Amino acid sequence: MVQKILLTIWMAVIIVAAFLYTEAAVGFPGQTSRILFFHVPQSWVATLSFLVSMAASVVYLAKRKLKADHVAQSAAELGFLFCILATVTGSIFAKATWGSFWNWDPRETSIVILLTIYGAYFALRSAISDPDRCRVLAAVYSILAFVTVPFLVFVVPRITASLHPENTMNPANPGMDPRTLTVFLGSLFAYTALYLWMLRLRIRILNLESLKVRDLFRGRGGGNPKTENEQPRMKGGRAQ
Amino acid sequence: MPQTKSVKRTTRTESSTYLNEAIAIWFRDMRSEFRTRYALNAILMFAVTTLIAVSFAIGSFRIDESERPFLYAVLLWIILTFSALSGLSRSFVKEEEAGTIDVLKLSARPQAVFLGKLLFNLSLLGALGVVIVPTFILLMAYQINFPVFFTTMIITGCLGLGAGTTIIAAMIARASGRGALFSVLSLPLLLPLMITCIKGCERAAIGYDSAGWPEVKIAVAYVIIMITMSLFLFSLVWEE
Repeated sequence: MVQKILLTIWMAVIIVAAFLYTEAAVGFPGQTSRILFFHVPQSWVATLSFLVSMAASVVYLAKRKLKADHVAQSAAELGFLFCILATVTGSIFAKATWGSFWNWDPRETSIVILLTIYGAYFALRSAISDPDRCRVLAAVYSILAFVTVPFLVFVVPRITASLHPENTMNPANPGMDPRTLTVFLGSLFAYTALYLWMLRLRIRILNLESLKVRDLFRGRGGGNPKTENEQPRMKGGRAQ
Repeated sequence: MPQTKSVKRTTRTESSTYLNEAIAIWFRDMRSEFRTRYALNAILMFAVTTLIAVSFAIGSFRIDESERPFLYAVLLWIILTFSALSGLSRSFVKEEEAGTIDVLKLSARPQAVFLGKLLFNLSLLGALGVVIVPTFILLMAYQINFPVFFTTMIITGCLGLGAGTTIIAAMIARASGRGALFSVLSLPLLLPLMITCIKGCERAAIGYDSAGWPEVKIAVAYVIIMITMSLFLFSLVWEE
């Protein structure tokens, strides 16, 4: 509970600081450079989430622990969410600075491929009815997809020059000014903490759902009215 | 008597190598394919009809000469990739449908099964390439100034298509809604390869370039990584 309140305050402070404490960077039209404090942490979390999902998949394949699969699934879902956020904010920035919402910049290409990978992962999960098989195949797909990511990093930038600020704006001044850096790191921390909190919630929901399914089966298998009466109490006890 | 028989059989199994088993599976698949020609017909007819549609709609003079190397490479690879996706899943789906999958599990090791199926898929892709690429060049008046590079690019690209899709075919054989799911799962993994091949074919059409053959190297790296990862992961998919 305390963490939640602290995180809310921290997030609010970062948002205010992003607009009032820092100066808008030189070389960007108007106030557009402030996207740095939101867009970059979002894409960082999306990438991190992809990595977490892959690592949890490896753990699941090695140990066959249900919890690892829940981590993999939750991380993929949250990664997808943050990926969409990063795409939308990036697209708005692109309209403001480059003049069009979408122009297949290498960064845009790789984020679209990331989105399709996540989409395919969910399509696979929903297509298999046997839960064990679904978990194994989803884990295998997650690892296979992760292997192709280095190609995106090395291959796609080869095709066209990128307009992404890291390439076009920064070579002259490699260091950020200290105020911007402070807020940026603070925002990075806030987003990562928010992500971890959401991830924990999602994992707990999945765990509870699987418990519920197990209890249901137990109730049916036993065929004893007593066990069925006990169920709500058991569930309530675990949920707290 | 029965004892000697069983001993004999064990020695024979031990002496059979992965390669022997893989080749046996390959020949078996080829023979069954020559009897029904289902996969080959599906792939080739898909490719030919798409090619006819493209050629009819665009013709050989509609596109400006300076645009041709790039646009033709794009069209060629779209035809090749989607034709491959229309039929390559047959290799595993047919085992599932015919109910032969359990016998196959008993008679060969997983890696050998994977290699055998990979060889079979590569044979299909070889047939596809031999028919479609020359026809495409003739119909579209595609001028290629560096044929050796172009041929190598097509060959390595087809190897990559086979390497990337074989394990996905094994995965979707266990899922429902197979046809659509195969393309959905394969495309994100194939996109980096497609981008590379399109770039390579474009450069080959333009002519000699002192940059060497980086696209071929990337495609070869892709093939090696995908086959290695598939060999690791295939037994998980297969034995599930």
